Amino acid sequence: MTSPLVSIRGLEKRFDLSGSFLEQLRFEGGRLRRKQEAVHAINGVNLEVQKGEALCVVGESGCGKSTVARTVMGLLSPSAGEIHYGGQRIDNLEGKAALPYRRKMQMIFQNPYASLNPRMTIQQTLEEPIRFHHPDWSPVQVRDKIHEVMHSVGIDPDWGSRFGHEFSGGQRQRIAIARALAVDPEFIVADEPISALDVSIQAQVLNLLMDAQESRGLTYLFITHDLAVVEHFGTRVAVMYLGRVCELADTKTLFAMPRHPYTQALLSAIPKLEDDRPNHIRLQGEVPTPVNLPSGCVFHGRCPYANERCRQEVPQLIATDGGAQVACHAVEEGRL
Amino acid sequence: MALLEVKNLDVRFAVRGGDLTALRRISFSLDKGERLGLVGESGAGKSVAAFSILNLIAKPGYIAGGQILFEGKDLAAMSERELRKIRGNRIAMIFQDPMMTLNPVLTIGTQMVEAILAHRKISKKEARAIALDRLQKVQIPSPEKRLDQYPHELSGGMRQRVIIAIALLLDPEIIIADEPTTALDVTIQAEIMDLLLNLCEQENVALMLITHDLGVVSQVTQRMLVMYSGRIIEQGPTREIINDAQHPYTQGLINALPQMGEPGARLFQIPGSMPSLKNVPSGCPFHPRCNFATDQCKRAMPEYVRSGNVDVACYEVANLIEQEKRMQEAES
Amino acid sequence: MTTATVSRWDRFRESFFWYSFKRDKVAIASFLVLLAMVLAAVFAPWLAPADPYDLAQINIMNSELPPVGLDGADPAFPLGTDAQGRDLLSTILYGTRVSLMIGFGAVVLQAALGILFGLLAGYLGGKVDAILMRIADVQLSFSTLMVAIIVGAVFKASFGNLMFGEIAIYMLIFIIGVAEWPQIARTVRASVLAEKKKEYVDAAKVMGFGTPRIMFRHILPNTLSPIFVIATVQIANAIISEAALSFLGLGMPETQPSLGSLIKSGFDYIQSGSWWITLIPGLVLVVLVLVINLLGDWLRDVMNPRLYKG
Repeated sequence: MTSPLVSIRGLEKRFDLSGSFLEQLRFEGGRLRRKQEAVHAINGVNLEVQKGEALCVVGESGCGKSTVARTVMGLLSPSAGEIHYGGQRIDNLEGKAALPYRRKMQMIFQNPYASLNPRMTIQQTLEEPIRFHHPDWSPVQVRDKIHEVMHSVGIDPDWGSRFGHEFSGGQRQRIAIARALAVDPEFIVADEPISALDVSIQAQVLNLLMDAQESRGLTYLFITHDLAVVEHFGTRVAVMYLGRVCELADTKTLFAMPRHPYTQALLSAIPKLEDDRPNHIRLQGEVPTPVNLPSGCVFHGRCPYANERCRQEVPQLIATDGGAQVACHAVEEGRL
Repeated sequence: MALLEVKNLDVRFAVRGGDLTALRRISFSLDKGERLGLVGESGAGKSVAAFSILNLIAKPGYIAGGQILFEGKDLAAMSERELRKIRGNRIAMIFQDPMMTLNPVLTIGTQMVEAILAHRKISKKEARAIALDRLQKVQIPSPEKRLDQYPHELSGGMRQRVIIAIALLLDPEIIIADEPTTALDVTIQAEIMDLLLNLCEQENVALMLITHDLGVVSQVTQRMLVMYSGRIIEQGPTREIINDAQHPYTQGLINALPQMGEPGARLFQIPGSMPSLKNVPSGCPFHPRCNFATDQCKRAMPEYVRSGNVDVACYEVANLIEQEKRMQEAES
Repeated sequence: MTTATVSRWDRFRESFFWYSFKRDKVAIASFLVLLAMVLAAVFAPWLAPADPYDLAQINIMNSELPPVGLDGADPAFPLGTDAQGRDLLSTILYGTRVSLMIGFGAVVLQAALGILFGLLAGYLGGKVDAILMRIADVQLSFSTLMVAIIVGAVFKASFGNLMFGEIAIYMLIFIIGVAEWPQIARTVRASVLAEKKKEYVDAAKVMGFGTPRIMFRHILPNTLSPIFVIATVQIANAIISEAALSFLGLGMPETQPSLGSLIKSGFDYIQSGSWWITLIPGLVLVVLVLVINLLGDWLRDVMNPRLYKG
């Protein structure tokens, strides 16, 4: 078993909502109390990304998938747990020590309209990272690299002197991909890279990402809410709900045989072209907020199979006979 | 007579350097209780079409020609005063982002009662009772509580239910829904579309659903029309178009969906992108991206031809139909 | 899309900025008047018929001559003379020069301070933000005029009028500049807070860029649009503040007068009938402030909905 490229261990992330000291004081039950609230975005996630694979993390809003992406990239620091890259712990690195990893790990963002600096030309946007990570390169080398990477994403290098707002959403996303590829990374985190694009453009950009993976031997951590994309693009899938992974499996296995009740509901909710009417598993109740997490299994409030144990005990990811890992008492007990 | 009939609707935007045409001679109809889908990508003009029915297009947009016949009367020619009697009352609209549609400083109840009292001369108590009834129809838990809550106290899915309830307050004939679930999670989207479908069936309300999601269109609508660069290029029963799309653009759109692709293989992609309003190509606007384009396509916009129950605007399709007819004639 | 590279000049000519300017007659007129005044002020030494501060050139016999068109006027002094016999046209030219210098100087200083502190407060947040904003709040509760009066009076008392006269212009620029930085800082801070959330900042962090580079190279250019509008209005405010101070005797000295001190020195002579000594510099001041404000108004309208377009 080869060691994974990226390893996420026991990751937890809380965002403090308490406010300043004065805001925390509340008058409750006749006494002055100090109230502290937090958004529990990630509550114990363990994931490994193998070299060369495309691990997709799916879930709906509030599940913490974007927070995982940002923590892996170092934009946020974990409240607990560790991030490892190539066997080396990286979440506690800063400044110069972190620099080599900044080059090897790159990120593509969701909003193509905000991910390019409106005051910089494309040329400047692409040039800066190259110059920063290769200070010894000559201007000719830099220029050649820019041209090469613009070609590979399908943008004419002659348009380098234009600004971001002169391009369409799909083109901007290509430029953002070019920026990520310009420093020759090994690992790319893509946070919903095609959600903001039109359907026909989504196909173009997805193809581009797949081509890049093949020609450059990239490893992807792909965050998305679109299961159809996952089925097409991913090697393995992790389904997240309220900060925990409920199911982790090969793409084929997950779509053929989803085990976790949430995964089943999620898959049934995708509107399919063959359907004549909406045809999905109906979940009861509302999505709880990540501020007041339910006890036990975070899904128990909406799950048709919840029992007492589900209300008390947090299920762990356990391997099942199909090859998937599922965090569900009902599956473990053989009830499902 | 159809409930709503749009004939040769032309909508333009007056900007410096001349007028840009957003909709070019759009024609379609909607029957009572029918569910129609308007499909297209951004820039195709589907939102413009929806907004122009109630003449809600903001300046510099304006209706340049055509008719919008609602129960026989032309909405495009009506005064603001007359239109106000119809908006919210006979034709209701649902927008994409519930947080933008609901006033954050007023309670749900206040907003609903206000909407009712704008069109009916009844007491506040009666209006509140109607509001409560509609909230129950959209299956919101504890509806009495909701009336006194503010929009930010509700989740996204619940807010969209409230919006649907508001749309139903005055028993409209038509609900125009502009991308009602695009901003919602997929499980909530499924719930909302299910609700909308059931309500429209129960109350016999016509639905005009604007969306880019072909899956949703297939689940909810009976007829659909596909828009590209301000024109309707294909129109007909939803099932027929989804199963056997005729126009190359519609085919491309369906084939580009990840659910249609082989896992791991490249997806089918339509080269290029939809032209902006400033650079609309001559003739058929799709010809620069079309595999079947000929000189004819560059010269003039194709007329509609009928294939089965579907109207298609494409020379290639027209030619294929001609060939088939000739072959059938030759056989007989 | 054409493949020709687009020059800055082409881009400007095609921009909404230029298009809107061409259509707004008030903006064009204001700009031309301002341009004329600025050029006149810059070239004052060459344009002025006489050097009003060269004591050798002044003849007390020429005092209180009215402007051309009234009885007793001398064509050599088209706008009349003041109580000492100085040519009013020349004093106004030099006075406008001083006023503009103080106006621009003060605004450059307050913009520099405001942008720096606003950037630091907005981007670094936490304690830095809290401290800087509290200082700003305290400073905003002091009126600029009050501070200037106190500082000016103390300085004059300690160092005497002559010393005060020499450094007056720098002191005024300093006081007005330092007093007004909070407004710009707050605006920049608000912009920075909004820009901080955008993905291009994340992309820069992910690339490994350090904090100074991100603050100055990436975020700063995106916060400048509202500053241009504020700066134009602040130039007008600075000129008026200085005029008020000079009127109170705490501004520019007699030997190096600004429009404000010209108004002051002529004030006493209204009673004796020589209204032009006060009124004409007064009119010039009003026109100057008016065109700057009009241009600021137009600038705000132009930049408002189009903050990030070309």
